[in-house]
Amino acid sequence: MSRTARLLKARWTPWIVLAAALCLPIVGNLVEFPYLVRVGGVVGLFMLLALGLNFTLGYVGLFDLGFIAFYAIGAYATAIAMKAHVPAPLAIMLAVAVTVAARLLVGVTILRLRGDYLAVVTMGFGEIARLTINNLDSLTNGPKGMQVRSWRPLAFVAKDPNVQYYLLIVAAVALSAAASRRLEDSRVGRAWVAIREDEVAARLSGIPVQRYKLLAFTLSAVFAGLAGSLFALWEQFVTPESFVFWESMLVVSIVVLGGMGSISGVLLGALILGGLPPLMQAVLMMQERISTDWINYRYLIFGLILVLVTLFRPQGLLPSARREAELDS
Amino acid sequence: MSDSKKARALLEVKDLAQHFGGLKAVDQVNMTIREGEIVSVIGPNGAGKTTFFNVLTGVYPGTRGEILFDGAPVRGLPSHEIVARGIARTFQNIRLFQDMTALENVMVGRHTRTSQFLLGPLLRTRAFIAEEAAIEARAKELLDFVGLRSSGNERARNLAYGAQRRLEIARALASDPKLLILDEPTAGMNPTESAELVTLVRKVRDRGVTVLLIEHQMRVVMDISDRVFVFDYGVKIAEGSPKEVVANPRVVEAYLGKEGA
Repeated sequence: MSRTARLLKARWTPWIVLAAALCLPIVGNLVEFPYLVRVGGVVGLFMLLALGLNFTLGYVGLFDLGFIAFYAIGAYATAIAMKAHVPAPLAIMLAVAVTVAARLLVGVTILRLRGDYLAVVTMGFGEIARLTINNLDSLTNGPKGMQVRSWRPLAFVAKDPNVQYYLLIVAAVALSAAASRRLEDSRVGRAWVAIREDEVAARLSGIPVQRYKLLAFTLSAVFAGLAGSLFALWEQFVTPESFVFWESMLVVSIVVLGGMGSISGVLLGALILGGLPPLMQAVLMMQERISTDWINYRYLIFGLILVLVTLFRPQGLLPSARREAELDS
Repeated sequence: MSDSKKARALLEVKDLAQHFGGLKAVDQVNMTIREGEIVSVIGPNGAGKTTFFNVLTGVYPGTRGEILFDGAPVRGLPSHEIVARGIARTFQNIRLFQDMTALENVMVGRHTRTSQFLLGPLLRTRAFIAEEAAIEARAKELLDFVGLRSSGNERARNLAYGAQRRLEIARALASDPKLLILDEPTAGMNPTESAELVTLVRKVRDRGVTVLLIEHQMRVVMDISDRVFVFDYGVKIAEGSPKEVVANPRVVEAYLGKEGA
């Protein structure tokens, strides 16, 4: 492929994907399958989470197994703010701020740990967060969950709230992917990847390793908080059930399957692992002749995909491509 | 040589020690390195050479003593701060950012000399674009300097062994060091590659960078060094010109044992 062709491809691909994503509600209407938009929204939330986790697990290589806790914090912060009659846009911003602050506090205390130790502690934090939400009845209403006051964004674009939230989520994903791309291709992004590749060499190349780890760890919470907030507003209901350990593992799987440190990779991973199960479930439910037992097998297929990818493409479906520079001149 | 004797001291080490429990890995080391010198540290395996380098570069904090670099104390500073002060190094076992390209490896080395943080890259400000261009230009110039420009887009892991050693030097030079510390730069190299590396080290010195290296190949040591320090069991047992040092009975004893002396 010539250099011009490659540049064109790089420049146009994101726009084509974005245009296709914006067409989804229309397609859903045409094929008389409005549920497609809901699946699209769910996939979008997974994309946000995966883009967030890509900062820690992808760029810096930190084993972060409790990411969903911060999704939960974003969701509950939104629910609580909405209950206090805070306007929704402000509630989103508050939720993101609270999530980032929580993440910063956790990061300061645990980022001295490495590898498996970090994995165990983040996993532990994920469980502690869920159990706290489950038991802090005065604030979170415990296992009964919280209602979230209805908010209809983009009412001038579409009547269906699912379409409204879908479009809002698409916009959030597009912005997040663009921000990731810009950070990745900068002094900051290079420092992160250098730490992943060799922490000692990074430190002795002048990078304050601890500070950059904390930066990636904290920034990833922007995405988790935003995703959690949109989730709460869209569903109008939050419960501790939504934030179990399995969800953390799912986001980790998305990043690993797609390609750690690769933006297009994690987006594709979210599309496959986040989109296939609900889609399969919906399609199977419509086929009345097929036994609904099949729904129970969807995660088996999912596990098979993971095993095959690990075996044959350990670097992920779309591994991160390094930037090519013009060398003559 | 006469020039370097007049030059001012760049690095002064006074009574430096690094103990690990009862083990005195480095003890009572005194050393002065003047600007523009090439100085070698030699000694048998386990003599404490690499530990000494690790204390100089902040990997270990040191147990006692003083390190003055450019007149300011640096012992116990974090490594990234020491790099910012002007000491850069390479490693005995090559430590490159394997999955990054050669050019990116060198660009990472510019970290301490650049400043763009979050907003610059996110908003693609003019200052950010200018700094990125400068980083890239400087990295290319350094790849040129070590003879790796055409391999700039290769991932570090795919480079030949000798090229990886040279890439490490380019990455270290990217931080504009005043002192470059090389830990066994010719390890695993054949005589031709070693000779090329000696030429490169001289070129580095000619850029105005002082060089301190650990070296095992005596041919290289004799060829390149203005002065040589000899370590054994964590202490410095001799120093002088290469010729003086090899004639020193204590050095011969350290290498060959008493009967060889």
